[in-house]
Amino acid sequence: MKLNLKKQFSTLALVTSFAATASMSLAGECRVAEASMDKPGGFPDRALTMIVPYGPGGGSGQVAAAMAEAVTGLTGVSINRDHKPGGSGTVGMTAYMAAPADGYNVLEHIDDASSAHALDSSRPNPAEDLIPLVVSQVTFSQIYIRSNETRYTDWPSFVAWVQAQDGKATIANVSKEGSMERVIMKFITEASDMQIQQISFDKGAPRYGALLGGQVDALFEQPGDVRKFLDAGNFKPILTVFNERPGVFSDVPTHREMGMDFEPLLRFRGFYVHKDAPSDRVDWLKWAFQRAYCEDSYQAFNDSKFMNVIDSYRDTAGAIDMINAAIVQYRDVYKEMGLDVK
Amino acid sequence: MIENFLVGTATLFGDPFTIGIFIFGVLGGMLFGAIPGVSMLTLAAILLPFTADLSPAQGVMLFAVIYCTGTYGGAITAILFNIPGAPENAPTAFDGYPMTQKGMAGKAVGAAVLCSAIGGVASALVMMSATEPLAQWAIMNIGPPEIFALVFFGLAVASSVGGRTIWKGWLSVLLGLLIATIGQDPVGGINRFNFGYSDLAAGIAFVPAILGFFAVSEIFIQAEKNVSGKYSAPKFNVDFPSFFELWAHKIAVVRSIFVGFFCGILPGIGATLAAFMGYGEAVRWSKNKSEFGTGKLEGVISSETANNAATGAAMIPLLALGLPGGALTAMMVAVFQMHDLEPGPLVFYNSPELIWIVFAAMFYANLSILFVGLIETKTILYLLKIPFQFLAPMILMLASIGAYISRGLVLDVIVMFIAGIIGFLLRRSGYSIPGIVLGLILGKIGEQNFAQGMQMVHYDLGTYFSRPICTILIVAGVLTLLKSLHSAFFQKPKVI
Repeated sequence: MKLNLKKQFSTLALVTSFAATASMSLAGECRVAEASMDKPGGFPDRALTMIVPYGPGGGSGQVAAAMAEAVTGLTGVSINRDHKPGGSGTVGMTAYMAAPADGYNVLEHIDDASSAHALDSSRPNPAEDLIPLVVSQVTFSQIYIRSNETRYTDWPSFVAWVQAQDGKATIANVSKEGSMERVIMKFITEASDMQIQQISFDKGAPRYGALLGGQVDALFEQPGDVRKFLDAGNFKPILTVFNERPGVFSDVPTHREMGMDFEPLLRFRGFYVHKDAPSDRVDWLKWAFQRAYCEDSYQAFNDSKFMNVIDSYRDTAGAIDMINAAIVQYRDVYKEMGLDVK
Repeated sequence: MIENFLVGTATLFGDPFTIGIFIFGVLGGMLFGAIPGVSMLTLAAILLPFTADLSPAQGVMLFAVIYCTGTYGGAITAILFNIPGAPENAPTAFDGYPMTQKGMAGKAVGAAVLCSAIGGVASALVMMSATEPLAQWAIMNIGPPEIFALVFFGLAVASSVGGRTIWKGWLSVLLGLLIATIGQDPVGGINRFNFGYSDLAAGIAFVPAILGFFAVSEIFIQAEKNVSGKYSAPKFNVDFPSFFELWAHKIAVVRSIFVGFFCGILPGIGATLAAFMGYGEAVRWSKNKSEFGTGKLEGVISSETANNAATGAAMIPLLALGLPGGALTAMMVAVFQMHDLEPGPLVFYNSPELIWIVFAAMFYANLSILFVGLIETKTILYLLKIPFQFLAPMILMLASIGAYISRGLVLDVIVMFIAGIIGFLLRRSGYSIPGIVLGLILGKIGEQNFAQGMQMVHYDLGTYFSRPICTILIVAGVLTLLKSLHSAFFQKPKVI
């Protein structure tokens, strides 16, 4: 079934995405003026708990650690990270929703929470059932090949080669159907009129190893996760799924330049608190997490992960806009894909 | 190589603070590895933020040392109380605990100490001599089809372990495989058998299942014996295995080093598969397969040699390619990154001193297992003198904490007790607990790689046989299965 790509994006999605593009120059800038804030009624007088729905070694685990360190450095309040991996984030989300809404429990989550709600509205809506404190990482996806690859060297030659393989070409991707990665690949293959077998890897190391070892022909990933392979000269990007060429990838064409007319879905990671948490505590947490984004340690972390290539920061209002846009966008796509949208 | 090793040794032991970190890692890894649930991963997660204040070499070295000694630490509780400290120690309990019941705890623990050290040192030596070429070979030649074939090869022998008949052994393995399918499928992320519980979407975690099948079922069995007046405390014995006893198993040690190293070098696989495969190969090549699971020293030797042989091997893809082999090596990546370093080919050129301190530390950490382990063992064996009515509640409490703490889910405690009840009933009927656990752990790894492999060969099973390593392993597995079936028709039931 062909998707009608031009129809499926709402105005809201377009506005949000173009805002991300337009604000590339703001990447890494601090937008919270207040360097300190009084604790409301002494809150917090003990350590916070941060539920992380993924393991400690992955992208979420690392951003949770970096943000916790920055908040602690800024406020002196310790944060205990409680990793509850599994079920594409549902185990952690369920545990968080069951935790007391007293402001002492915060949640780290990624765009998977938005796509899960888009598919099944009984799942928590991160923009309505939770209050986003800050989105501190926003990034785009790319397609990579081995640097020493000779069968194809850029996107046009890759597409031509894949088309000649009659569906036998392979690309390593994540495993979950309906995930951001899978949806974008569907856009790309349909827009490029090519068939490519996606190989499901739920962990990063085997996924990257598969490309390094020649087990697959290409890799779909975000640049921060494969930076070491880029720096070492093992991988090279041949396509950026973003509306403009980011500065550090100025020699890599975007999907739009390659004739693909769809709005890019973005990977974003942020921090949340229960919507029923006391409002004065929520205000303090918003300040702490948004200001912690400005801390040198956090900025250094984001730099190391290519997370300041585009604007990675959204305050509460910006995060709500982004999440709502993503939900609308995913829901339209899922309906077009024939998935059972509830 | 020798010169680099000596320089690494001098740097490691030339600074009192670095020596302190090394000793802390040795003791901390052993302690946290021995406590179920509170594994070496827990210690590593606690220490991760503090490594920012250490030098890069100290930070990575600390984690490498914890990895070596933590992998060994869980063997002690597996042998003495049927509580594997971590999944990679589960096969050690298959024969280690029956040895304890027979009054041979000293021999089992002594063998575990010695073989962990041998496996780890051998692995460290290979790691030091050939990291880069080995990593390149593994990454070029071993993909999901080969890993699935390896798991199939390992599972083919699983029916021989612990069941009263081979049929019951196979039913046990199949039950383990069935349990392994609970949770999201590895291709589309579709929920299976979760009955609407989101917590079950992640599947049955290894730690609570192992604690239930081993520790809790054992408590129930001993409690039943206690009530019916048939209970007899394990005989207290601190006799270590003699040199000749160990020398008789030299082939098992060498084989397990190879098996453990091979499994450890595969990105994303690590020590758990190594331990199970090491044990499985010991069964495959034994003339007395039916003795495994009843207290055979070779079972302990094979499992503990293989899991520590995987530690040095797991560092190879990490250091040479930046690909972590498991959860702890993934945390090492974070340690590198906290110091603006990235593991991978460039680290050999940019930070050779770091690499050689880590290599030297892993070598000496494995040697430390021998010395610290032997001293510790003489003391820890006295725990067996605690009367059952005091020991049983302690084990249940420890197991409950261990099941809960790994993910912080009450579900895992429930799973542990359900597994304990099922294990209790199945053991009474002659089914194999090791078989269930083998099916559960190898099933998860196998299904994922089978699905990936099928995608790679475009769902054409015949294409699997165009890959030589894959073909050899699958053919060997099929032959083992046929031999097992032959035995099943002509074998008399064991009396256990």
